[in-house]
Amino acid sequence: MGRLLREGEYLVVYIPPTSKALVFRVRAVYNKYHDMPYGPLPLTSGTTLPTYDGGTTNVPADGVLPARSYTYSGITFPYSGAYDSNDMWYLPKDYRERVFHVIQHVVPEFVRIDVQVPNGIEQARFQRDKVMLGVPRDFGFTRGEIEMIHLPELRVGYRYGNDTNMDVKTFVKFTYAEYVIEVPEDPKEVMDVLLGKVERYWFTYPVSAYVTAIEEALKKTYGYDGFRVPTKYEPELIEEYSKLIREVREVFKG
Amino acid sequence: MTSALITFYGKTDGSSTTGDFSLDSPILHSTVTYVRIPKGMKAKVWCKRISGEVATDVIISYTDDVTASSPTWKELSHERLASPGELILEKRRPVVILGRTGKEAFKVSWSQPSAGNAYVEIEVELTDE
Repeated sequence: MGRLLREGEYLVVYIPPTSKALVFRVRAVYNKYHDMPYGPLPLTSGTTLPTYDGGTTNVPADGVLPARSYTYSGITFPYSGAYDSNDMWYLPKDYRERVFHVIQHVVPEFVRIDVQVPNGIEQARFQRDKVMLGVPRDFGFTRGEIEMIHLPELRVGYRYGNDTNMDVKTFVKFTYAEYVIEVPEDPKEVMDVLLGKVERYWFTYPVSAYVTAIEEALKKTYGYDGFRVPTKYEPELIEEYSKLIREVREVFKG
Repeated sequence: MTSALITFYGKTDGSSTTGDFSLDSPILHSTVTYVRIPKGMKAKVWCKRISGEVATDVIISYTDDVTASSPTWKELSHERLASPGELILEKRRPVVILGRTGKEAFKVSWSQPSAGNAYVEIEVELTDE
């Protein structure tokens, strides 16, 4: 599983369907105490969930994931006082200088987890779009822990599955950082970061389908949807990066 | 690596000489009589604590298909509390049951020459290693 970054480090968010990447430098990290014991999963008593055996079942008590059940729709995490009290990790584009880096730990650790970006879109796929994967299927999920970068304007949903026969009480802990980020000014610096000539933290964004909502969110927030990732030093990209950086910095100035 | 360590607790009904323990645990909302092992994971039984007012055998059995109408249970581990008291078995080498299809399960049973109160605790790790 990943690690949180410190001030001065570079973060690359690589988006596989476009072969582009967002490049950030972490200017500051808000809140040095990174652990948040959130509590039980936000599952409400009486909610109907599908089961691995083909039927449905009801959540027997708040925060309990019933035996053999999974959440078909992505879950967001309510938090009173947050910008969106139903989704604590969501931020609008005005918060473009902020990025949440979130590592989610779920107890019991055998609980299946996957992520939908944006919420409602299954992103784990096999052989292009031939087979949809994730929590309801045999693979395409992780268990007990998941890492995510939350970007503004993108609502992310998490799904959970319990393939045992036990109704389990759940608990979630977040290890997170709220980064204050900037886009590097120097296009050569961007190239070096993308080529790995300087140390950077590479996060592959968990998307297979580049749906319009993702592109729109990135463009609304940053004014672009990423730098093309070079395979070697490509001087012709410097001019392209330079133009993008100027545009992005204008957007950040507001 | 995924690893969940769970303490299960069960007691005999005090009136039957044989039976399956209803297993409870702080993470369970309701008791279970068997534990189904997720596909690709293993159940490792690291520790057994048995206590009782009468002699009690504690048996761990597994089945390859708990979804069958009458699952076939095979004995995997058998411990004997020979007389009233307690027996604590910490296993450096655990009893391991592999979930190959996701239909495997294990259960814990008791057998007594004469019915009485007895208790069992087992420490089970569900892990992908």
